[in-house]
Amino acid sequence: MANIFPRWSNFLPFKIAFCAGTAGAGVALAFAYYATPKALVVGYQPSQPIPFSHKIHVDQLGLDCRYCHSFVDVAGHSNVPTGSTCWNCHQHVQRDSPKLAPLHRSMDVNYPGYDGKPIEWVRVHKAPDYVYFNHSAHVNRGISCQSCHGDVNKMEVVYQAESHSMGWCLECHRAPEKNLRPLEEVYNFDYSDSDVSKYTDDASVKTTQDLGLKLKEQFMVKPKVTCATCHH
Amino acid sequence: MSKRIWHHPEVPAGETTVAWRSAGQLEDTAEFRQWLDREFPQGAAELANGEESEGSRRSFLKLMGASTALAGFGMAACRRPEGYIVPYTKAPEWVIPGNATYYASSMPRAQGATPLVVTTFEGRPTHLAPNKLHPDVEGTDAFAQASVLDLYSPSRSRKILKKAQVAKRGDFEAVVTSLAADPAAKIGFLFGADDSPTRARLTKELAAKFSAAKFYQYEALTGDAAPTALGDGVKLVANYAKADRILSLDCDFAGTDSQGPVTSFFDRRKPEGKFYSEKPDAKKMNRLYAVEAAFTLTGGMADHRLRVAPSQVNAVAAQVARGLGVKAGVAIVSPELADAKQVAWVAGLVEDLKEHAGKSLVLAGSRQSLSVHLLAHAINVALGNIGEGKPLVALQTETKGLGSIASLKTDIDAGAVETLVVLTPSNPIHDAPADLKFVESFAKLKTSIHLGMRTDATAHAATWHVPSAHYLESWGDARSARGTYTMVQPMILPLYPECVSELELLLALLSEDGKLLSGEGAKGAASPAYTAVRKTFAGFGGEGETAWKQLLRDGFFAGSQYASVTPAVRSDISAPLVATAPTKTSLELIFATDSSIFDGRWIDNGWLQEAPDPISKLTWDNVALVAPKTAKELGVYDQIIALETPFGSRSPDDEAQNRTSPMILVTVNGKSLEIPVLVSFGQAENTLVIPLGYGQGFDEHDELKRGPKNECHVGLVGVNRGFDAYPLRTAATSYFATGATAKPTSKRYSVSLTQEHHAMYGRALAREVSTMVDEQKGSFAAQLANVPKQGNDAHAPPNISLYKPTDRKDQPLINDPLHQWGMSIDLSSCMGCNSCLVACQSENNIPIVGKKQVGMGREMHWIRMDRYFAAQKDNTFDEDNPEMVPQPVACVQCESAPCETVCPVNATIHTEDGLNAMAYNRCIGTRYCANNCPYKARRFNYFDYNKRNPLISHNLYKGPFGEKQTGEAPHLQKNPNVTVRMRGVMEKCTYCVQRLKDAVIRQKRGQKQEALVAGKPSTEMKVDLHTLRIPVDSVKTACQDACPAGAITFGNLFDEEKSVLGRSKKIERNYDLLNYIGTRPRTSYLARVKNPNPKMPDAKFVGKATVHMV
Repeated sequence: MANIFPRWSNFLPFKIAFCAGTAGAGVALAFAYYATPKALVVGYQPSQPIPFSHKIHVDQLGLDCRYCHSFVDVAGHSNVPTGSTCWNCHQHVQRDSPKLAPLHRSMDVNYPGYDGKPIEWVRVHKAPDYVYFNHSAHVNRGISCQSCHGDVNKMEVVYQAESHSMGWCLECHRAPEKNLRPLEEVYNFDYSDSDVSKYTDDASVKTTQDLGLKLKEQFMVKPKVTCATCHH
Repeated sequence: MSKRIWHHPEVPAGETTVAWRSAGQLEDTAEFRQWLDREFPQGAAELANGEESEGSRRSFLKLMGASTALAGFGMAACRRPEGYIVPYTKAPEWVIPGNATYYASSMPRAQGATPLVVTTFEGRPTHLAPNKLHPDVEGTDAFAQASVLDLYSPSRSRKILKKAQVAKRGDFEAVVTSLAADPAAKIGFLFGADDSPTRARLTKELAAKFSAAKFYQYEALTGDAAPTALGDGVKLVANYAKADRILSLDCDFAGTDSQGPVTSFFDRRKPEGKFYSEKPDAKKMNRLYAVEAAFTLTGGMADHRLRVAPSQVNAVAAQVARGLGVKAGVAIVSPELADAKQVAWVAGLVEDLKEHAGKSLVLAGSRQSLSVHLLAHAINVALGNIGEGKPLVALQTETKGLGSIASLKTDIDAGAVETLVVLTPSNPIHDAPADLKFVESFAKLKTSIHLGMRTDATAHAATWHVPSAHYLESWGDARSARGTYTMVQPMILPLYPECVSELELLLALLSEDGKLLSGEGAKGAASPAYTAVRKTFAGFGGEGETAWKQLLRDGFFAGSQYASVTPAVRSDISAPLVATAPTKTSLELIFATDSSIFDGRWIDNGWLQEAPDPISKLTWDNVALVAPKTAKELGVYDQIIALETPFGSRSPDDEAQNRTSPMILVTVNGKSLEIPVLVSFGQAENTLVIPLGYGQGFDEHDELKRGPKNECHVGLVGVNRGFDAYPLRTAATSYFATGATAKPTSKRYSVSLTQEHHAMYGRALAREVSTMVDEQKGSFAAQLANVPKQGNDAHAPPNISLYKPTDRKDQPLINDPLHQWGMSIDLSSCMGCNSCLVACQSENNIPIVGKKQVGMGREMHWIRMDRYFAAQKDNTFDEDNPEMVPQPVACVQCESAPCETVCPVNATIHTEDGLNAMAYNRCIGTRYCANNCPYKARRFNYFDYNKRNPLISHNLYKGPFGEKQTGEAPHLQKNPNVTVRMRGVMEKCTYCVQRLKDAVIRQKRGQKQEALVAGKPSTEMKVDLHTLRIPVDSVKTACQDACPAGAITFGNLFDEEKSVLGRSKKIERNYDLLNYIGTRPRTSYLARVKNPNPKMPDAKFVGKATVHMV
């Protein structure tokens, strides 16, 4: 009986398996690179109706986060300032800057295009509807704005610095010491190892993480990792 | 392969109690067994008929293939959608975005306003809870809980109508202006039966301005006998805290016929005291005697219950009066009770009342006849029960001097009233007594103005219909049960600009220019009603800003009760006393108040329609209820039993949605009604009960082809619902009619009953003990000690878990050192009123699913209100008078939860603080968990009930092509802190986890505060359990908060005896449901205690209703 399969076909299954495997791995890699939150949302930097610069307001002028995000420590939701908060200063400062036209439309009754409607800021950080993240639970227990939002004080235009994926949340919930700070330092974007000595006489505590580990015990920080912590 | 069945042990020998949920189970049909074996009712999980089969597995695969292929094109456009954050321009005071704001308000009602605390999110009222500061607080009932939905109802009236056509507001304003300018106008005002001080004040001003003005009061189901017996505007209010013995003469005071704040009644159903802090003592309990025809919530609570037709209540009352030697003003001509058993029953009762003179209470049903009221009053006076500090107090309300609807008709016919302003929440064109022919007189009016939230029959008959503002949208005031001045403050401006409140309309008529102002005035000025209410309040609390602010904060003004009066026993009226008992050929028809829609006013409220009737477990319709014996005599019993079978030879899958009930033709007062019939246990023989208010409008989809008829009177919720019994009802027979006949017809009608859905089985589910010494069970103390050992728990060996309670590092799995949540439900005070069920729906965004889906067992209520009947085999007193045992069952949060181990995707897992949590976004809908739940506490979203409108015929089956939820507003009621679940997701109770998280996080914030107050660096602060553990009993679940009976207790198990929960878990009545299967539930139950009078002939059959379902 003649051979149905020629000799070269002997290695065909291996070749097919190799190609399929490579293709599969390629797809997996591509998915991990392009389609996970790390790739999809980190760096998201939409342009805003008013090109508000956190760098100017926080870094140069030294405004505290809570001047504008005033309910961050009493509510789950960190509020975006009302028009009147901006207007408090900007009815005097930089009043005629063309960049502030939307604010005038919203607040300035003498402005020709005044309509009294609120400014529509573009949302940068978005948790899905089924996630209930509570800002006040974090900032009152020693987790800084910086830990999740990055160096906002250096941002001309706000972008998303971290992936905010569930795995990322859990990383910190399992080992909060990396991000725990004294409550005084929560809104301080320049907190570093050099600040540690202010809070302890213990020479073995050198880094912020050492202090975090100490605070974890002292503050009884035991972050929960079960579903209902964020999903209900 | 069939499911493996857990074989529950047989009921122990010598058990005398027979318990059942439905007639079918009592007759033990094979089909009921099948219901028990399935986690969902037959058909609930199937795609049975043609239009559903488009979703078959095959077509699903086809569609999936196509959509995957198309996905390639779509992916290119896959970008993050842009979202916006829109802050206020100027922040309103107190509003913190994301946090709830709470305001005190109240719901005006005929028996006295219900004081409320309203939860609002950014101005949207979403949930109601009782205002616990208020002296007349009594929890909230299902009606109050569901009233928030009316605000957002898609069928809510929103346009001014002229002769049922949409009209311009300007035209109506012109009518008001011309009326206001005519002081000689023959104008009449028809109010509801609620009492509002501002309205009473305006009424006086109206009488002064319009010389010919006349004022009337009408609500369909408030009786008129009490004012006649006591005096105009006088009402009796009970103080149950003082009442050791209570006799209810056909008075459902715990349900639809409130006689004063009822919470204190339930407090005294707990032998350990309200907070479980005392030793159990039977003497502290009250004792309730109920005389009634059909089971009511009150009757279900009774220690002794006598079944008599309503016409015979008179004879019982007379017998009591005679026994007490009361010289009633009315001549007691009623013959002695004929039945020796009844005589013995009354004799025992009389003796007990005598012993507790001054500490007892006789309540007559407000719709009962005048003679019953006269007798009850005479008895109370004779026993010295009336007066300050006594169980009963008579109060003079401000609703004095108002005419009745009969006098209104006379005045219209005589031409004394030409313009009528209809302000009553009832619907007189539909619900006025039929023989009054009010419709004809109404048509004679020159102008009629109807103010209402629904475009009902009256709205269509009136010349003008004005959409009414909801009470959560308007300024007003009201009187609570004892007359405390209570605030009605708006939470939101009227959703629709044409809405007008009652006070605003009256004020427009009173104003000089006759201008109708409503809602917000120019430049944000307050409504004129605000000024009027402030003026009224100045008469109570003074002019100042402080008192007013206090009023707004508290919701009431303390010390403003009605003045008490001492009504004499009247001897100048003769009331007919004798009525013959109903017989087989001359039935007695009772026009009952409906527990879902009251008098018909809530027919368009989906939550109430879908809440099962507490007794019959019927949803979405009304039926005629008859006693089993009467049903047999009518020849319909076997057909009703067949309800529980797959009727005829249909395939089993057709069973659920095709459960139909036979119909009977009821004839009384010369009118007939065809209506389906169901068996009602514990009902007096030869009586028919028909709840009122249904059958207001039908469209072409009606099952019995009754439509289109009055389709526009109702919305999608109320259309094609039930049968209208109002045409059978005359003024003389407004509560019950004698001489009715009923005969079976060949028709059938589908009924959606929930009584067998999610039916549990097991031993000693609901447990009951008696304070009386029992031959077998021993003394009260012995019976209490035996509660945890009832059923299987007496001899089952202790459970050993196969699962390790620790993780790999030997840490306990349930390891939160701060909070471990637990709940207890006291069956001794639970009456089964559905308040918790509706509160849960409001708090947790639970959708309604519509009649057809309920029929298939797909209702979504997280709390299932089980209702069992339990009778004694040897009951020689009255074998057809079983006890009714309600038992609310939600997820009991098992520590060893059977559901968790079977979830393939870890969507249901245990939290560190002991909750059995659901991660909805993780659930893939295998339903294994529901299959494995012995409590049947899980609910599955078979469709996207939140997104697609389940009320439009066949809409759910159209998938993405189906119509979305109608209306602009239904999503506004949703609680933002709870996920709105989608199709294919399992859901269940999680102890209001959003409230728990909120409370715990609020407590955590305290750490920062402490550091600030101490002025020390935060690193030097000591944080311990007390910093982080929430204060004792400081968080409440929605069901617990709503419960008028205080039956639900919730708290942190670590608080132990400091908390009410901790104490309740320590008492002897505490037991775990299905303890012997080793689930270690966190919700435990407290056995029901009955307090029978040993001298009563039926005493030894009471207090043994321990329910076994095998």
